[in-house]
Order: sequence, then structure tokens, then C-alpha cells
Amino acid sequence: MRSERFSPRAALGRAAPHLAFAVVFFGAWELYGRSDDAQLPAVSAVATAMADMTADGSLPSALGSSMQLLVIGFLSAAVAGFVGGVLLGRYRPLDRTLMPFLSALYAVPTVALVPLVLVWLGFGLSGRVTVVFLSCYFPIMMNVYAGVRDTPPELIEVSRSFLVRSEFGLLRTVVIPAAVPFIMSGLRLGIGLGVVGMAVAEVYLRLGGIGALIAAYGATFRLDYLFAAIIPLPLLGLLLTKLFTLIERRADAWRAG
Amino acid sequence: MSKSAGPLDDAGIEIDGVGKTFRWRNKGVAEEVVALGKVDFTVRSNEFLAVIGPSGCGKTTLLRTVAGLIKPDRGEIRVGGRPVTGPGEDRAVVFQHFGLFPWKTVVDNVKFPLRMRGVPDKEAAATARANLKKVGLEGFERSYPHQLSGGMQQRVGLARALATDARILLMDEPFGAIDAQTREFMQEQLMKLWDENKKTVVFVTHDLDEAVSLADRILVLSRRPSRVRAVVDVDLPRPRWDYDVRSEPAFAEARRTIWEMLRSDLVEEEEGAGIHAI
Repeated sequence: MRSERFSPRAALGRAAPHLAFAVVFFGAWELYGRSDDAQLPAVSAVATAMADMTADGSLPSALGSSMQLLVIGFLSAAVAGFVGGVLLGRYRPLDRTLMPFLSALYAVPTVALVPLVLVWLGFGLSGRVTVVFLSCYFPIMMNVYAGVRDTPPELIEVSRSFLVRSEFGLLRTVVIPAAVPFIMSGLRLGIGLGVVGMAVAEVYLRLGGIGALIAAYGATFRLDYLFAAIIPLPLLGLLLTKLFTLIERRADAWRAG
Repeated sequence: MSKSAGPLDDAGIEIDGVGKTFRWRNKGVAEEVVALGKVDFTVRSNEFLAVIGPSGCGKTTLLRTVAGLIKPDRGEIRVGGRPVTGPGEDRAVVFQHFGLFPWKTVVDNVKFPLRMRGVPDKEAAATARANLKKVGLEGFERSYPHQLSGGMQQRVGLARALATDARILLMDEPFGAIDAQTREFMQEQLMKLWDENKKTVVFVTHDLDEAVSLADRILVLSRRPSRVRAVVDVDLPRPRWDYDVRSEPAFAEARRTIWEMLRSDLVEEEEGAGIHAI
């Protein structure tokens, strides 16, 4: 509820289960990591590696270039997914013609398309952006599509009765506002998969950003540095998904419950 | 009651041989239902007309053709002498399902038709507030529809239609989804509002008491394919909200007349079941 004041104690109470889990999990990891035959670097070693990479600037600069890739890929997928979802959701013939193919394509893992992207677009930025784009496009498009299909027909009629005549007017006054919850959850799913796509593009397509760090430390078996390079990915995914959940809640203020 | 107005007056509605057949395909088989046979009728300017008939007789279809939301297959509808080709500024609809946009606040819902007519935002907001006050919803401007009861939601629907200042109000079973006590209160409010600002009202209902207590005239439709079965004048004095309309002899008389017609249709339908079925 909006009216609830933020209280540190309540926030701590809500976070308690995660915190407890983190303490147990990382504690166990640390203990195992310090044993002689460990296949894992200790948490403290990972933290040291991370501090080292931050100090020499390699982690921040890698993160920066990865973010650039993610943002370009995600934004273009958001625009294309929105347009595609609206067109397919609103125009039956288009839906009937293309949907089976798009559903089939949706089921193909993005990694499997990487070689194709490589052949067609090469190692450049456009290739990497395409991989990120492909990772986020389908969840966004499919959700927009579902939202548009779900428009209450009676509200279309209300809009028409109050002199909204053009298809564009109906989209603006009814179809798109009614689809906002779907659109938002599409974006939230999309950004999470975009982070995955970003790492895939950087590891398999051209070494750069976080992906390059992962590949380099992986190849040299420097596990503490490898972990330090991997950990930003789930954190980034978590952060962005959380951000979109907040925006989503904002946009859904009108919904019951 | 203003009987002086002729059909060419601005707010009169001529329904001229209007028919509508719905066709669709069900598992590849063409099916159809004749919703409106051939309806001829003239709604006078500024009268309160109720439309009643057996369930499924096409009352709502008739209202939707007058609203311009569906095109009749046969015949023509004229408002103020001009043929209806679609929704227009001269008509506003109140829907049974309220038809409020759940993502808009109450005041934005009422502003909606004004904004679509190109009224500047500030002016639209002022008109919306004034109309919300009229229906007793002052203080709820910033609420969302889901926070209101059914009766209150329909008052928003009514305020939205009134805010357009259309001369014709088309009401499609507006109180059908509202509980009985609230419904009676809404009827009373509607009567007051109508007395203050006379409009042509076409009020579709399946509630006989509601039709008699509100209307000047009642258009009784036959069962499908519907035609005009009868037109019944309701001879009850106005204003109607300050006395108990239902205890008047004229109320009982009009009610009985119409009930006889509806009843005979029901009986015929029972007897004819299976023979006239499409």
C-alpha cells in the first residue's frame, strides 16, 4: 500500500529470510573454499579479486561496455516488440499468417542462432546487438500481443461511442492503456533475458565487456577472478528486474487489489 | 411533457424500417439470427421513452443502431432529420456495464468524451467536476472506478454522458447491474436530473416497473424478429420523484397493459418452441 511508511525494522524483517540464507550459503562456501582440495575459490578470494579488478578499472569499464550493448539491444527490442505485438494482436490476417512461424522461432534458443548471426552480421556491434535483441524480443512481443488480444471489446465500443473513429485513436485510448500490465511484464522478462543475451554475445561473438573477462579468466583457470567477473551478471539481472517491478507497480496503480 | 416537437426537431429520432440480421459461422456452418425485423417508430424531441420487450428481442440492438455503433442492414435512422452514419456529438450512451476506463480516475473518465471533442483540458475538467457534483460524486474525482460501488460507478457513467451535453441520452439497461435499492434511488436521481435539463432519453430496460415509473411513453417490442408491438402512454404527472408513483392507479393500469402483451409473447414462445427456432 502507498500509505505505508517506510520503516527500517519492517524492511529488515522482510529481508531476514534472504539474509539468513546468504549468511549460511556464503559461510559454507567460504569454509569449503579454504579447505585444501577445494574446486572453488573462497568468497574472500573472490571479493579480493573483485576489489582488484575494480581498482585497476577493468571491471567498471567492462561493465560499462556491456551495459551499452544491453541498453541498445533492449531498447530496440522493446520498440520492435511493441510494434510487432500490437500489429499481430490487432490484425487477424497478420496473426494467422505469421504467428506459427514466430512461435517456432520463439522456441529456438538464442545461443543456437549465434553462428547464423556471426555469418550474417559478423563480429561487430550490430551482431552483438542482434543477439541481445533476439533474447529480449520474443518475451516482449508475445506479452504485448497477449495484452492487445485481451482488450475488453466493450471498452472499444465505449471509445467509439464517444467519437473515437480512427484505428490509431482506438489504440491510443483503449487498446494500449488496457495492455499496460502485459507490456510491463513483457519488459521485465525481456530485460532479464537481455542480460543473458548480453553475456552470450560477448562470450561467443566477440570478446568484450564482461564476457571478455569471463572468457579470459576461464581460459586461464583463475577461478577467483572468473567468479568476480560472473557475479555482476545475476546482480545486474536482479537489479534491473526489480527496477521494472517498481515501474510496473506504478503503472498498475489503478488495478484492484 | 413536450408534445409540440415534430420529428424534424433537433432531438427527435426517426427509426425508419430498421432491420438487422447477425450472421456468423459456427464450425463452418453459416448461422444467422434476425435481431430486428422491421422497426418503424419516431421518438419525439425531449420525451422520455422506455423500450421494453421479451428477453433477446433486440432492444439493445435497436439502441446500438441509434447510437451508430452498429449499422442496420435495412432501413435508416435519422436524428434531427439527418441520417445516422455513426456515433455523433448529438448522442451519448450510458452502458449497462458502466464502460468506465479502469486506468483513468473518475474525473478523467468524465473528461474523456470532452477531450475527444477537442475541448481544452481545463474547460473539460471544470465541466467534468460540475457534472460529478450533479450526480452527487463530489470528492471522488481522484478515485479509480474499482474503488467505487456499482451504483457510484454508474453515476460516473451518467455524469460522463451528461457532460457531453448531447441532446439525446441513450441508456442501455443502465441500472440492470445494480442492486434493487440502489436502483430505485438511481431512478429517482435520474428523474430529478431529467426535470432540470430535459433531453430526449431512450431507456432500454427489461424491468416493467422501471419503464412505467420513468417514461412518458413505452415502446413495446415483439419477440424476434422484433417489430413494434405497441406504444403505451404513461399518464402520470411530473415531477415524479416527489410522490409514490407506484401507488397510482395509472401506474397499475399501464403496467397491466404491458404485462398482458409480454405475457402473451412468452406463452406463444413456449408453445412455438421448436417450430420457430432457427
